Amino acid sequence: MNYSAVLGAVALSLAAGTATAGERSLTVYTYDSFVSEWGPGPAIEEAFEARCGGCDLRFVALDGGVDILQRLRLEGQDSGADLVLGLDMNLMAEARGLDLLAPHGADTSALDLPIEWDDETFLPYDWGHFAFVYDTEQIAEPPASLAELLEAPEDLKVILQDPRTSVTGQGLLLWIKHVYGDDAPEAWARLNERVLTVTNGWSQAYFSLFMNGEAPMVLSYATSPAYHMAVEESDRYQAAEFAEGHYLQVETAAMLRSSDEPELARDFLAFMLTPDFQRHIPLGNVMNPAIDLGAELPTVFERLIDPESLTFTPEAVHANRRAWIREWLNAAAR
Amino acid sequence: MPRWKRLSPWPPGLGFAALALVAGLGLGSLGALLWQAREVHPAMLWQEPWLAAILRFTLWQATLSTLLSVGLAVPVALALARRPAFPGRGLLLRAMELSLVLPTLIGLFGLVAVHGRRGWASPLWEWLFGLEAGYLYGLSGIVLAHVFYNLPLSARLMLQALETAPAAQWRLAAQLGLSRVAIWRTLEWPRLASLLPRLAALVFTLCFTSFAIVMTLGGGPQSSTLEVAIYQSLKFDHDLALAALLALTQLTICLGLWLLALSRGGAPSLMVGSVRLPALGRWRRRDASGASRWVDAIWLLALVALLVPPLSAIVIAGLGGLPELPQASSLWPAAARSLVMALGAGLGALALALALLAGSRWLQRSGHAVLGLAMEGGGQLILVVPALVLGTGLFLLLRPALGSGWEGYALVVLVNALMALPFAMQVLRGALPGLTVPELRLADQLGVRGSARLRWLTWPRLRRPLALALAYAMTLSLGDFSVIALFGSPSAPTLPMLLYQQLGGYRWQGAAATALLLLAGVALVFAVLGGLTRRPPRPRWRP
Repeated sequence: MNYSAVLGAVALSLAAGTATAGERSLTVYTYDSFVSEWGPGPAIEEAFEARCGGCDLRFVALDGGVDILQRLRLEGQDSGADLVLGLDMNLMAEARGLDLLAPHGADTSALDLPIEWDDETFLPYDWGHFAFVYDTEQIAEPPASLAELLEAPEDLKVILQDPRTSVTGQGLLLWIKHVYGDDAPEAWARLNERVLTVTNGWSQAYFSLFMNGEAPMVLSYATSPAYHMAVEESDRYQAAEFAEGHYLQVETAAMLRSSDEPELARDFLAFMLTPDFQRHIPLGNVMNPAIDLGAELPTVFERLIDPESLTFTPEAVHANRRAWIREWLNAAAR
Repeated sequence: MPRWKRLSPWPPGLGFAALALVAGLGLGSLGALLWQAREVHPAMLWQEPWLAAILRFTLWQATLSTLLSVGLAVPVALALARRPAFPGRGLLLRAMELSLVLPTLIGLFGLVAVHGRRGWASPLWEWLFGLEAGYLYGLSGIVLAHVFYNLPLSARLMLQALETAPAAQWRLAAQLGLSRVAIWRTLEWPRLASLLPRLAALVFTLCFTSFAIVMTLGGGPQSSTLEVAIYQSLKFDHDLALAALLALTQLTICLGLWLLALSRGGAPSLMVGSVRLPALGRWRRRDASGASRWVDAIWLLALVALLVPPLSAIVIAGLGGLPELPQASSLWPAAARSLVMALGAGLGALALALALLAGSRWLQRSGHAVLGLAMEGGGQLILVVPALVLGTGLFLLLRPALGSGWEGYALVVLVNALMALPFAMQVLRGALPGLTVPELRLADQLGVRGSARLRWLTWPRLRRPLALALAYAMTLSLGDFSVIALFGSPSAPTLPMLLYQQLGGYRWQGAAATALLLLAGVALVFAVLGGLTRRPPRPRWRP
């Protein structure tokens, strides 16, 4: 049997018809919910194309930030992308290690983040804290700290996500590690008694379970209630503010050295920190904008919690993630 | 040599071509991963202390799920065959076809709404046992979900096998007044016996490779499957070598099982009978009256209780979201795109299934039994290769050519066709043997050959199974999200993609409505294909 001949034929037939028109085009690898009809993608594409004068901005949607990194790693020097959008801080060290990215060269003075930012490769476009969202119809007084959550009555069930397969799950892993350090295994063991289940992804946890009323609390983002308040006009779901602080997620974009359109890519990165891009973030991506939007910020965002930010450096996360996951597995699998 | 024994060279040729495509994509992607990883030490497998635990759990839950799904499907299928005309039977069959193709996220939503801690069934549970309904989380929940997905499929395929028994046999059974046990021994068991091993292997494979259900309902990392380990090593750790080794482990276990099933399945009987549905009503079966009415009623009610409440929960949630649907401008294009892709994948799966089955049968008849079984087993390969390994491997193989335009969709259609292949083969296998030796001889003597034989002898027997196989294959790819997520997509979504995008944007009501539309599409495909082939063509005799 000649496999390669078959595959060759398939490859050839797939190769036909890739040619595109001669206008300047910019390909951006990002994640699925960014480009959807309800995400910020379509409006941002329109705004950028109106601005650059006859260019074509093309989003290629992958499953998530980890998949963007994976795609870069597999494609290497001849990546089809000019830019990547959607790598969070925890993926930065690995992405930098690939040696494929170029400095952004953008003016970062407009940035308005909870932490200082001086990275020359990765440019933030939004941020948010991980948080436990609770159902006010099931609990009136949520725990006020991680410590209180660990001491809560055991019938206060929470829904978590697996750090091996989800970004929010990994967020909680880092959060617990940051707060409890070497005592993290004991903290996990105590939290475990209150865990209803650990899903593979955020969608399962939030929609299949939490929205069905299965548990009063779910691991999500501090910005999640903004959507319910603004679009559904419901105050039912709120985020619990914890005294120890909340782990921070910053989402970033970066340009590739191999890009054929470095000028245009830099234009896009600069455009990212303007109101024309940022005004689509709060309700489109349900995250906090990376610049001060002033009066354009939806009012519900003022009603969100504003906790202290906890972070590890990207390098520390990269170096320790495997060990910390193993630690969690041992503590949680019992 | 009598004429009818002269074998055409086409079946093995097409069979080998189909096998080369399936095996090339499946093993090729695995090979690409190993090649990219460069350094592979099989000892890595033994150095991972958690692997043995994961493997034990995976085998345990898959075995339990398979035994319950297939075992309980037998009385359900027998009851359905014994009661050919109770009110709502048609609807129940439709519901059985729906459950298999529900996207997991939606299926989970329905199961949680019914069986969860706050579910519809929880008051009943508390009243019965005085406990909070916590059975959805842990092994019991995993098994319940797997039974929800696989029992209807198993019962549906068994029913199809039972219905292929010739009407004359049923008439005889009725005239002789055969008892329950005698009917089972002479009519039912022989039909099921050749189907069971392959069906069990199919269900086992589906449960073994289950991912989202096991994680969501498992309660924690103590319930992990091999797929999770593969996901972790491939995505988070970028350990291609370990991922490929884990995939090989999975491949070995599942293919070993398939080999066992194929060798046990026995030669399918050549007694394929009349195309007409056995009109059981006309010949009263002795075992259809008395206490068996109550037993059958209980089994059928149990099936309804398993199937209908979660589906209703999904429909109710979807109806609530219907007002949001018109706002989604990408909805109808997405639905059209999905339907076209599903048709392509369905026809592809059908063509491949026919080629593999015909080739396999030819080889078995001409004395190459092992080769024939290997060809049939090869059709199951894609189900056993973890989707993520397949996606990454194909990406590595086809990369220079893999843009983000229509060729991405074409690849999705191809992979979907391959994933639907085992289902199509399962449906068609029993129907393909076609003509008995005396029939063939008669046809030869009468000079009915070539296209005439195809038109008048083969086609009438195949049209119903072909329609069912096409319906399963089409709807499987209609509801599939896993494959399209692998390759990355331009902004034009398919229906399941749209659903996940809606969830990503918190539009859960809209997502429920999209799910309802998807279900309606699935039901439509089954109804249209079933309707088109309901009545066998009436031969018009013209002098």
